[in-house]
Amino acid sequence: MPIYFDHNAGATVRAEAAAAVSRLLSDMGGNPSSVHRAGQRSRRMLEVARAQVAAIVGAEPRQIVFTSGGTESNNLAIFGAITAASRRRKIVSSQIEHSSILAPIAELERRGFDAVRVAPDSDGRVDPGRVLAVLDSETALVTLGLANSEVGTIQDVAPLASMCGAAGALLHIDAAQAVGRIPVEVAALGCDLLTLSGHKLGAHSGIGALYVRDFARLAPIVFGGPHESGMRAGTPNLVGAVSFGAAAEAAMNAMAAESVRIGSLAASLLARIREAIPGLRLNGPMVGRLPNTLNLTFPGVLGESMLIALDLEGIEVSMGSACAAGAVEPSHVLGAMGRSVADARSSLRISLGWNNTAQEIEAVAALIPEVWRRVAAAEPLSEASAR
Amino acid sequence: MRRRVLVAMSGGVDSSVAAAMVREQGYDVVGVAMRLAPEPSAPIAKRRGTCCSHDDFEDARRVAERMDFPFYVIDLRADFAARVVDNFVSEYLGGCTPNPCVMCNREIKFDRLWSRARALAADYVATGHYARIEHGTDGRFHLLRAADDAKDQSYFLFTLGQDELARTIFPLGAMTKTEVRARARALGLATADKPESQEICFVPDGDYASFVERRSKPAQLRPGSVVDSEGRRLAAHSGVHRFTIGQRRGLGVASGERLYVREIRAESGEVVAGRREELDSPGLIANRISLVDNSIASGRELSVEVKIRYRHRAIPATMRIDSERRAEIRFASGGPAVTPGQACVFYRGEEVLGGGFIERAITDEQAN
Repeated sequence: MPIYFDHNAGATVRAEAAAAVSRLLSDMGGNPSSVHRAGQRSRRMLEVARAQVAAIVGAEPRQIVFTSGGTESNNLAIFGAITAASRRRKIVSSQIEHSSILAPIAELERRGFDAVRVAPDSDGRVDPGRVLAVLDSETALVTLGLANSEVGTIQDVAPLASMCGAAGALLHIDAAQAVGRIPVEVAALGCDLLTLSGHKLGAHSGIGALYVRDFARLAPIVFGGPHESGMRAGTPNLVGAVSFGAAAEAAMNAMAAESVRIGSLAASLLARIREAIPGLRLNGPMVGRLPNTLNLTFPGVLGESMLIALDLEGIEVSMGSACAAGAVEPSHVLGAMGRSVADARSSLRISLGWNNTAQEIEAVAALIPEVWRRVAAAEPLSEASAR
Repeated sequence: MRRRVLVAMSGGVDSSVAAAMVREQGYDVVGVAMRLAPEPSAPIAKRRGTCCSHDDFEDARRVAERMDFPFYVIDLRADFAARVVDNFVSEYLGGCTPNPCVMCNREIKFDRLWSRARALAADYVATGHYARIEHGTDGRFHLLRAADDAKDQSYFLFTLGQDELARTIFPLGAMTKTEVRARARALGLATADKPESQEICFVPDGDYASFVERRSKPAQLRPGSVVDSEGRRLAAHSGVHRFTIGQRRGLGVASGERLYVREIRAESGEVVAGRREELDSPGLIANRISLVDNSIASGRELSVEVKIRYRHRAIPATMRIDSERRAEIRFASGGPAVTPGQACVFYRGEEVLGGGFIERAITDEQAN
């Protein structure tokens, strides 16, 4: 059995989510928007799921809009907020966001809007003071990831809510990587919008949600029927929502114990391979990082080779982002943190999840250094052309 | 433990069948497609939106899925640019006609890829080349022409030595192209009826001159004159990179008789044109000689057959290699046009002895 260490790309589906979906699949039918009783039954299940998802971030169920995933939630937050704030034409974000934030912002720029992408520090922290410095009466939206998907850095977003409030801008938090791993409370964050992703916390892929504090300040981007409070047209993905609800409930119940357990697994893995690999570097802060995420620069090797060599040994990790053909590109996050392209090309992300075990850590802690030694000897970086 | 083979897959029918065959032979197969081209060809970029969502990689991936072995796309663009493309450009700028496929085999497939293979704990590299490797009773490895003479690619492989041959597999060496296609169909491979690729992969439109110009500074280009054998100026030209030996079109000369490029003098920018019969040389000097088996003594005169362009037939010649890895080759009878930059490969019958890169033709006056 391969050992799966890529939960930040997509967590293993939780047993609770799989069970809920298989119950539903054997007894399904009815559009949740229909009047008949089949429709009403679907509607009830959808609303149970909505309440389960709302609970994990301390929101009201009516504030949860189901979407097709984190990417759509981010698009809805950005284009919806810009559209609703008709006069304001500026958006503030950071350089280390997920592509589902960066690409919509680039598209807005193409359409003539202004965008500011604040640089992080070398640990991937975005200084709220630097956000404040660029906030003005033109700013429609500040959007920031709560926990970075590649290095796991957790942002200090607490000061942002009052800043944004004072400037009259909306605050959107992309919490796709954070929800289910660390406590996330919309009230404590004071955000207007918050992105959740189903498959990052153990639901099936194809479902996500956007928390919307005040519907009056967001415009829909998909038009059609009056689903999801008029904010997202299209027959709701009931299977996905039920999976999401069950996974969110399970993640919430398990979070306290799970985050301690996973954190200690990750810490012990780091300690073990650090000892065996001189010059290994952890990217991101030691404190203030997702407990499950280790982004590591392996000295003297190409990450691409390590990634493939590890996969052939049955260890599944990741690197930067995959292009359409499946080749890997160096991480823009590490670049923004001041790492060289060469370092970024030598870096891998190991992200643990709810089903990883101490035995797996034991096996991997021995294998990773072995693979590193082999790759470093066979294909030293000096031989491969740096780009 | 099963021996692991790294198979270089292009998405074409040949490497697809090669991969399928080593898989059937029971090896632990790992397929890789190499990302090599430095820039996407415009139509592909437009069609698919990104540089690397190449259809060919998807074809290779489908073969890997069908034959149930792991497959990865690996990024060797930087190596390819530095070791193959830059060389291609500088050769043209220097008045030579390079063969990038030879360079790619030497620098990428049997060097860079082999390092990757070791990193991935592979024992062998396999490719879809049409050539054969024989492990002789003397313990030496022999590189032989393919069974299918029309497809034989041994010319591109002369840089392989004993170390490389010992860990290389050419599954298609004994097959004809027709058999390969039939095999692909029998295996249900999606690539069975794909057309042959003809052009140099990083210049898909075949316009080498424009490619060289895009990748050079204007000061690097060598414009000058087209002259006749007596040095009389016939026309002006915009750069020696636009010419190759034997070329007839694009000379810009209105002449009663057909003229061909017979010599390119990069330093002076002169392109010498002459009649068809003026192209032939009695021999050539080749450098960077490599031998499949180094036990061939240097300094001794050897009788061989030489092939001085991929599509040419091998012709009888004598050869003497000096200690500087240079060789003087004399054709047994009326030699063909010699093109500096091209590979010159030595055969003895079916066997490749080695080869080098053509430095220049020998003229009769130089003969002694």
